[in-house]
Amino acid sequence: MNTVKLNTLPAPTFSWLGVNDTQRELDEHNAQSITLTEKRTSIDVSADSAFDINAQDGENKFAAMFIGGENSLQIKTNVDIGSSSQVTLVQVFESKAQTVSEVTARAAGNAKFELIQLYLHTTDTVSQADVTLDGRKAEFTANIGYLLDDSDDLDINLTAKHLGRKTVSGITAKGVMNGNARKTFKGTIDFARGCAGAVGTESEDVLLIGEKAVNKTVPLILCAEEDVEGSHGASIGRVDEQHIFYMMSRGLPEEKIIQLTAQSKISQTVNSIGDEQTAERIKLILGQGDEDE
Amino acid sequence: MKEKTTVADIDRSRYDFRFEEDENDFLGSGLTAQIVNELSAEKNDPEWMREFRLHSLDIYNKTKMVEWGPSIDELDVDKIVTYIRQKSRMNTDWNDVPEDIKQTFENLGIPQAEQESLAGVGAQYDSELVYHNVRKEVAQSGVVYTDLESAMHDERYAEMIKSHFMKLVPPTDHKFAALHGAVWSGGSFVYVPKGVKLEIPLQSYFRLNAKGAGQFEHTLIILEEDSYLHFIEGCSAPKYYEAGLHAGCVELYVGKNAALRYSTIENWSKNMYNLNTKRALVAEGGKIEWVSGSFGSHVSYLYPMSILNGEGARAEFTGITFAGEGQNLDTGAKMIHNAPNTSSYMNTKSISKSGGISTFRSAVVVKENAVGSKSSVSCESLMLDGISRSDTVPAMDIRTKYADVGHEAKIGRISDETVFYLMSRGISEQDARAMIVRGFADNVSKELPLEYAMEMNNLIGLEMHGSIG
Repeated sequence: MNTVKLNTLPAPTFSWLGVNDTQRELDEHNAQSITLTEKRTSIDVSADSAFDINAQDGENKFAAMFIGGENSLQIKTNVDIGSSSQVTLVQVFESKAQTVSEVTARAAGNAKFELIQLYLHTTDTVSQADVTLDGRKAEFTANIGYLLDDSDDLDINLTAKHLGRKTVSGITAKGVMNGNARKTFKGTIDFARGCAGAVGTESEDVLLIGEKAVNKTVPLILCAEEDVEGSHGASIGRVDEQHIFYMMSRGLPEEKIIQLTAQSKISQTVNSIGDEQTAERIKLILGQGDEDE
Repeated sequence: MKEKTTVADIDRSRYDFRFEEDENDFLGSGLTAQIVNELSAEKNDPEWMREFRLHSLDIYNKTKMVEWGPSIDELDVDKIVTYIRQKSRMNTDWNDVPEDIKQTFENLGIPQAEQESLAGVGAQYDSELVYHNVRKEVAQSGVVYTDLESAMHDERYAEMIKSHFMKLVPPTDHKFAALHGAVWSGGSFVYVPKGVKLEIPLQSYFRLNAKGAGQFEHTLIILEEDSYLHFIEGCSAPKYYEAGLHAGCVELYVGKNAALRYSTIENWSKNMYNLNTKRALVAEGGKIEWVSGSFGSHVSYLYPMSILNGEGARAEFTGITFAGEGQNLDTGAKMIHNAPNTSSYMNTKSISKSGGISTFRSAVVVKENAVGSKSSVSCESLMLDGISRSDTVPAMDIRTKYADVGHEAKIGRISDETVFYLMSRGISEQDARAMIVRGFADNVSKELPLEYAMEMNNLIGLEMHGSIG
C-alpha cells in the first residue's frame, strides 16, 4: 500500500481548508484493459479496470458503467473523441468500498463529450475528470448528481481545459447530503491563452439535510484569455422556508416535502440521460422504478 | 485597423518621490536573534515583548513558506532591512516633524485631509510613527489614538495591549505572521469606549521611504460595546529596484453591537512584496465593514479575515484590485461564521491589464454552531487584454444544514452587445466603453471615502481610443 495524493486542485488555495488534495492508501493498480468498441455499452464494474473509448469520423458512442461491489476499486477511463464525433459516458457509483476513478478525455474540433456521474450512497469515492477541449467548437457538458448518507465520503475534482477557439463547457452538480456525509466538489474551468470565444459555466446546488453533514465547494475559473465568458455559481443550504410553508399549506408534511425536494435534485441528473434503459436502471436503484404505477 | 482602447497604468508620479536615507540609521539586514534583541533594546520593549519577539523568530525559522499563491522566490528576507532608527521622536505638532518627512506627507495630502475631514491622523515613516494627533473633542470622549509603543508603556493600556497583541493573528498563523511578531515596529493603537460613536474617521498613513527595507507596523483597534469607528489606512512607497517588504498586521476587536468600518487604499510601488495580515473578531450584534483598494505592489497576498464570533455578528467586504504590468495581486477575503444568525457579504471586482495577474481568493466557513447564518459572495473580473491573467479561487466549507450560502462569479471582457446598446442610444463608442469600465468599478468606489474615491478615479486614468477587444 502506498499513500497517494489524489484530486490535486489545479490552483491550490489556503492549506487549512484541506481541499488542495486528498490522500488515500492505494494498492498497485492492477487493471484489466477494456476497449469499448460498441456504439452502446452498459457494463457492471466490480474489479480494477482501464477503459478506452475512442470515437472517430462522426461516430456517436454511449457507455454506461455501474460501479459497485464490496471491494476497493481503481478505474481509469480514457476517452478520445475525434472531429465531429460524440461520446456520452454515464458512471453510476454505488460501491460500498473505497473507489478511485479517473477520467481523462480529449475532444477535437466540433466533438462533444457528455459526462454524467451519479454517486449513490458511495462509502468512500475519489473521482477525478480532466477534460481537454482541444479543437475549435469542441463541447463538454458534465451533469453530476450525488445522494450521500451516513458517513459517506466523496471527493470530486473536475477540470475543463479550454484550448480551442469557441469551445464550450457546462458543469452542473446537484446533490443531497444526509447524516454525517462529507463531500468536496472541486470544479475548474481553465481558459488557456488562445481559446478566444470560449464559454464556460459551472454551478452547484447542494441540499443539506444531515445535522452533521460537511460540504466543501471549490469552483475555480482560471483565465489567460481575454475573449471568453466564464461564470460559476453555488447555492448551499436547506430547503427554502417559503417553499416548505407553501407545500405544507397544501397538506404535505414537512418530512415528505424534504424527501420530494431531495428526490427532485437527483432526478434532474437522471433525466438528463438520453438512454432510456440506463435511466430506468438508475431509477430502480433509487427505488423510483414503480413511480408511474 | 481597429485601435484598441487602453486603460492607462496607474499614475504613480505622486508617490515616486523619495529622500535619501542615512544608512547608519539601518539596524542591519537579515533576521537573527541578535538583530531582534537590538531592535527590542532600541524600542525599549518591556521584557514580555522581547521574549515574544524571540519566540516569534523561533517560529519563523521553523515555519515553511506558503505552498500556494504567487511566487515569492525572489524575495530574500535576509537582505531586507527590518528596522530603521527613528529620525525624531513622535510629535503631536506638525511643525516639529523633520522637514523632509513633513514634505513627504504634505505631497501626499495628509495634513490637508486632517484639517478638512479627519478626527485624528497618524503618520508612519519607515519603521516608526513620526506624527500622531487627535482632535481635542475626540480625546475628551475617551477615544485613544496613539502609537502602539507609547500605549504599551502607558500603565492605563499596557495590560490591554498585552492581552490582545497577536492573539487574533498568532505568530504560528503563517511564516510572515511570525516574521511580524519578531520585528514589528510602529503602527497605531485605537481604543473606543462604550457608547462612543466617532462620526468622522481616523486615518493612519504608512510610508516606506528607505531602499531595500521592510515595514512591519501593527494596528490594534479595540471597540467597546455600542461604539462606532471609521478607520482609514493608506500605504505607499517610492519605486526602487531592490525588493521591499510590507508584512504588517491588523487586529480588530469589535465589541457587542459595535461597528467598525476599515478602509484601505494600498498603493505600494511595484518593487514591494505586500504580505499583510488583517483580522477582525466580531462580538454579538457587531459589524465589520472592510473596504479595500489594491493597486500597488509587485506581489500581494491580502485576505482580511472576519471571525463572526457572537450571535448576529455581520461582516461585509468590498474590494477592488487593479493588476498592471509586472504585478501579481492575490487578494480576497475570509469569513468565518462561528455563532448563530451571523451574516457575511463579499463583493469584489478585479481588473487585469498589460500582463498583470489578478487572483480573487476567498474562504467562507460556516461552523456547526452557526445555525441560521447567511453568506453571499459575488466577484467579477475584467480582462482588458490578451496577455494578462485573471483567476478566481473561492472555497466554501459549510458544516450546518441551517445555513444559506450563495456564490457567484463572472469573468470576461467588455461586452460588444452592451457597447452596441449604448451606441444605439446616441453615445459614442469611446464614451460607451469608458462608461462601462467606470461602471464596473463604481459600486466599490462609492464605498470609499470621497477623497479616496477621487484618488482611485485618478489612479485608473482612462485613455479611450477605439475599442477594447
